[in-house]
Amino acid sequence: MKTIHWILLGIVTLASLALQYFGPPHPHPHAWDAIPLFYCMFGFVGCVLIIVVSKFLGKVWLQKKEDYYKGDDDV
Amino acid sequence: MFELAPAFWLLAAAALAVVLPGKGLRAALCVAMPLVGLWQLWTMGVGASAHASLAGFELTLYSVTKVNFVFAVIFLLISAVAGVYAWHVDDRGQQVAALSYAAGALGVTLAGDFLTLLLFWELMAVASAWLVFARREARSVRAGVRYLLVHVAGGSFLFGGIILFYGQTGTLTLQALTPDMGAAAWLVLIGVALNVALPPLHPWLPDAYPKATITGAIFMSALTTKSAVYVLLVLFPGWDLLIYMGLFMALYGVVYAVLANDIRQILAYHIISQVGYMVTGVGIGTALSMNGTAAHAFSHILYKALLFMGAGAVIQATGVSKLSDLGGLAPKMRGVVWLFMIGAFSISGFPLFNGFISKSMIVSAAGEAHHYAIMLGLLLASVGTFLHTGLKIPVFTFWGKDQKLETKPIPRNMYVAMGLVAFGCTFFGVYPHALYVLLPFDAEYHPYTAYHLVEATQILTFTFIGFWVLRAKLAGEPYLALDTDWFYRRGAPVAQAMVVKPVNAFFGAGAKARDGIASFLASNFGNPRAWFGLQKGSRDRFDPDVERAPLGSGLALILLVFVAIFASVVILVP
Repeated sequence: MKTIHWILLGIVTLASLALQYFGPPHPHPHAWDAIPLFYCMFGFVGCVLIIVVSKFLGKVWLQKKEDYYKGDDDV
Repeated sequence: MFELAPAFWLLAAAALAVVLPGKGLRAALCVAMPLVGLWQLWTMGVGASAHASLAGFELTLYSVTKVNFVFAVIFLLISAVAGVYAWHVDDRGQQVAALSYAAGALGVTLAGDFLTLLLFWELMAVASAWLVFARREARSVRAGVRYLLVHVAGGSFLFGGIILFYGQTGTLTLQALTPDMGAAAWLVLIGVALNVALPPLHPWLPDAYPKATITGAIFMSALTTKSAVYVLLVLFPGWDLLIYMGLFMALYGVVYAVLANDIRQILAYHIISQVGYMVTGVGIGTALSMNGTAAHAFSHILYKALLFMGAGAVIQATGVSKLSDLGGLAPKMRGVVWLFMIGAFSISGFPLFNGFISKSMIVSAAGEAHHYAIMLGLLLASVGTFLHTGLKIPVFTFWGKDQKLETKPIPRNMYVAMGLVAFGCTFFGVYPHALYVLLPFDAEYHPYTAYHLVEATQILTFTFIGFWVLRAKLAGEPYLALDTDWFYRRGAPVAQAMVVKPVNAFFGAGAKARDGIASFLASNFGNPRAWFGLQKGSRDRFDPDVERAPLGSGLALILLVFVAIFASVVILVP
């Protein structure tokens, strides 16, 4: 990721925020629309949550060596 | 002849492929016949049907409705494109299996009664299993056997439900079932849910798809689960349970996709996740949500085929399928990278790609039906979709640590097929109306609203940032993740100990007793002279040459008797 990529991401985010607050409003707003930057946080927190929870489940329970099913090297 | 439904055309093509010489002719058949079927379906149009009677049952061999039309169209389209992708394959078995499999999916989709549906359902199971066996690796054969057994079990549930349904109603006509039908409805639901890959009945999918042939997996990714989604849509619309099961599926697939290492297994878990949206759409049961299910099945078949084709191209070129062994392929496979990314943008729901215009229908329908928690859950699942299919697979396959892999050139037909599907993914994304006119129910929907664009852009951007921060955690790891196939893969030895071993032991003991008796008889009755101690040779065997006196002595005896008689006559008579 070069600096230019981060700048582009920033521009896209700012454009979406501009559209959100100055564009046409949603006819049936949801309760969470009142929270500023809701979908930004949702994307970031959701992503982190998925990785952390899945990895945790994998480590404590689900992940096994590849020869777990004996004689059936299977992944 | 022309009155035959597309399914029967494909069956005839499969039969022809059995005897047709020449790889090129068979490959052409695999592309042409789905297109002939599509043309026929289009000209017949909604409302066409054919009836027959078998053993006293009135069957509706096919009945084209607004609901199954859209499914049949995409099944035929993708079968033709998968035929292009497999053009270089010189394997009669796979070609026959692929055509039969497509026929099965078409037959299930167009069937007007339960019995016809069941027959094509079983055909699909057998034909698709062949596409796993055809990989000809030991682990593929074992996975294929598991796949087949699981599907046969699912088919039995379906069959049991159909028998009960017929007993209750006296008809075999396909119709929506209700929970108050009791066991009949529930058995059918279990059978269908198995093919939908609804956890815990799903493990056949991530088990078998990564081990199928490169080209066979394209058919599998398109046909089995989506034909079952269609059946679910017809039989179980508005079942509340399905709303929650669908969300569970959507998130289940996401969690396992974090843990999976084989690139096609990651894609397989995301089939489960994406089908979860469709199941939720069936469960909500409004016109918009069920249109969303049909539209998302259509979109999903396109982009998932593209993703499986891209992953197949990587495996074809490198022979490697595990993320932990892949990396640094981008400079060597530019074309595949671009095509794969179109599939990845589509499944992730980027605006201008076809995932955006169908997934959002189901999410919006959940909101309109006031299922807000479901709505947010589905949005979370789409975060996971982008995370794995859009970021994890391409980043660690095409970029990441350069594993210095040798790449073989990929057959040109594979690129052509990927190009066709990639065109479909963007065409329907840019011009959703082309898909919306095919949708069965009456509900207006506009995907490109400011709100949806804001929502998608912000979620996707910040998912990317989250991924970038934690990307080190997501590299493939050489482990397998336990799934519900544990019960039968670890259970098989136990079941064998409980059921097979006692029976084997019983028959083993019987065989031993039989052999003992035989050897006792053989050793004691072999030579009866031995009973009196008169044997000359072996006690076990009567050898006439040894036991009997020589021939000469018999003749001498006869001669002696003759001489005696002769002498006595000569002496006594005068």
